[in-house]
Amino acid sequence: MFEQIFQDALFSAIAAIGFAAISQPPVRAYLFCALIAAVGHAGRFLLMTALDEPLHIVPATLCASFAVGLLAVFLSPLSKTPAETCLFPALLPMIPGIYAYKAFGGLAMCVLRQSGGAFDRYFSLFMQNGLMCMSLLLCLVIGGTIPIFIFKKVSFQATR
Amino acid sequence: MSDNCTCREPSARDVGRFLAQYASWMTGCGATCIRIEKNVNRIAATYGKRVELTIMPRHVQMSVSDHGDEAECLTLNTSVKATPISFALNTRLSELSWKISDRKLPLATARFMFDRIISADYGLHRWLVLLSVSCANASFCRLFGGDAVAMGVVAVATMAGYWLKTFLLERHIDVRAVFILCSFVSAVLGCSDILFSLGSTPDIALGTSVLYLVPGIPFLNSFSDMLYRHYICAFSRFADATVLTCCLSAGLCLGMLAMNVGMF
Repeated sequence: MFEQIFQDALFSAIAAIGFAAISQPPVRAYLFCALIAAVGHAGRFLLMTALDEPLHIVPATLCASFAVGLLAVFLSPLSKTPAETCLFPALLPMIPGIYAYKAFGGLAMCVLRQSGGAFDRYFSLFMQNGLMCMSLLLCLVIGGTIPIFIFKKVSFQATR
Repeated sequence: MSDNCTCREPSARDVGRFLAQYASWMTGCGATCIRIEKNVNRIAATYGKRVELTIMPRHVQMSVSDHGDEAECLTLNTSVKATPISFALNTRLSELSWKISDRKLPLATARFMFDRIISADYGLHRWLVLLSVSCANASFCRLFGGDAVAMGVVAVATMAGYWLKTFLLERHIDVRAVFILCSFVSAVLGCSDILFSLGSTPDIALGTSVLYLVPGIPFLNSFSDMLYRHYICAFSRFADATVLTCCLSAGLCLGMLAMNVGMF
């Protein structure tokens, strides 16, 4: 179990650093992005696997993104960057890319396969994955942004 | 010139011009609306001005007036600066707003510092970014349960696609066409795991191979703007991100069709 958690944290940290590089954060922010992403993703993994009654991915994502938001807010004065600089790249490894991919695939197949049974199957695939994708995106942003909303003073004075 | 630091309170016109440029760069580099509002109001208050700011999808509109004399106000409209998302620029511009406010910098000094900030280069070396993005997408593949072969395939597909993206964007090709082409190339390369039966998780390799193109930051920005009730900006950012997602999905489908790989 420990090895799985470590792997999850490690790969999400690498993913956060790499995806952060696209949006050009200050160099000093990379370490914070990696740390926050590792804690957030590994935290979600724990909530979904290690509990006696494992959480569903949606509430687990909400809890994890809230933790990521709190960390981003309280570490941003240390990194001397706006809270979003650490928050958004740290959330990226939790972006529901595969759900989005399956939702779009389902939609494309709905258009290509018009016969009754196949259409129903692909439409259900589209709806299931599309809803999941939207729910996860909302949880990510709401969970991540609420700490900025609550601790406005800390988050907007980090670059002072 | 009224902004030559001999005068403590520059004119609304000079402050307005500076703030319009400032807001246009902040919006362009991907700052959230609430941050732009706070920074602009902070700077305006330092110079004894009041600002009403409207952030539109492609323009920033602001009305500037002297504090206590709202009868005479100046309205400026400026285009949003077309620049890639840059948190470094966002950070430096936010720092500038605090410096202006805390040290009561004259407008001429503030403008000089602003010009220096916007003309600096903040990105890592392009090859280092390419390597980081490839490793990141391979790690993403691992997080979704991909095996080592799938990770390798995804890394190669990402490297090729991201290099092509940089190459085409530098030549000012339309970003939507770039997304279709890049996801097509990455999907074709991602299909190699299926076509040559290389590993045990080929579907994950294919699905992940284009995920480096998902415009995650615009999506997050748009929802963040929505929470602060900046609905127009939120909607426009969401629409932009959705269009790009559709383009990448179209490229993925074309790639799968070209390689004759079934979707599900």
